[in-house]
Amino acid sequence: MSAEEEENAAELKIGDEFLKAKCLMNCEVALILEHKYEQLQQTSDDPMNQMSQVFEKSLHYVKRFSRYKNPDSVRQVREILSRHQLAEFELCVLGNLCPETVEEAIAMVPSIKNRGRALDDEAIEKMLNDLSLVKQFE
Amino acid sequence: MFFHIVLERNMQLHPRHFGRDLREKLVSKLMKDVEGTCSGRHGFIVAITGIESVGKGLIREGTGFVTFPVKYQCVVFRPFKGEILEAVVTMVNKMGFFAEAGPVQIFVSNHLIPDDMEFQSGDIPNYTTSDGSVKIQKDNEVRLKIIGTRVDATEIFCIGTIKDDFLGVISDPSATT
Repeated sequence: MSAEEEENAAELKIGDEFLKAKCLMNCEVALILEHKYEQLQQTSDDPMNQMSQVFEKSLHYVKRFSRYKNPDSVRQVREILSRHQLAEFELCVLGNLCPETVEEAIAMVPSIKNRGRALDDEAIEKMLNDLSLVKQFE
Repeated sequence: MFFHIVLERNMQLHPRHFGRDLREKLVSKLMKDVEGTCSGRHGFIVAITGIESVGKGLIREGTGFVTFPVKYQCVVFRPFKGEILEAVVTMVNKMGFFAEAGPVQIFVSNHLIPDDMEFQSGDIPNYTTSDGSVKIQKDNEVRLKIIGTRVDATEIFCIGTIKDDFLGVISDPSATT
């Protein structure tokens, strides 16, 4: 259980397996699950029965908490965030929570500050501005 | 957090399925077997999105069953200690409140709710600040931080806190409409 003990997302200790894995923002998950749900509807008469509870709950959750609804803006958000040498996990936390201020962003993703990157407050502010622009023009 | 990862599983298939649609049978059995399950290591498997490879089958002695190693891509939900996420409040009582983020349940004890919020019993039990400006009740959306996870054979259960900067109620559905 030692690995479990050391786990801390605030310091980006989430295990090698997940650190290298592709992270998904809620809005991306919504696109994937909705697509899958449509497929299910076409192939079976009773799609509600085919779905696991986990699937159903996840779908409701990501629909409720998706900041961006249309696929183009989802792509843009990932594009903007990926310009800043963020880890996948950090990128998705920012994309999900959409912090409005620099302090909020640092509180949400403390690791953003301590990985020796050239990410100063100004750069973070610029990034947050770009994100809110995507939201406005959606 | 949701992840897209590749997992492997050894699938046993009965010989009656051997034929042209062996692969389809294998995939549909895989979906039935793993979708909706949960493990401590990988979290909840929400949906299989693709099959990476199906390895060579191996006949099991004595039974005639064949084992195929199958690599598949899937969407998983895995909560982490220290992670901040949004959740929906499902139940409020004097001990604290429960919230749900997708498949995972999170409990926030009243010790981890800001001290200026008091429990109010009644038809709709809730936690309210003394001036009444902030209220936590069922169906509210809260932003919380996971401070602990407990792994069960079939479930992951989390403990959360809202006693920190930028955490707490996000919106009140009754106020926005």
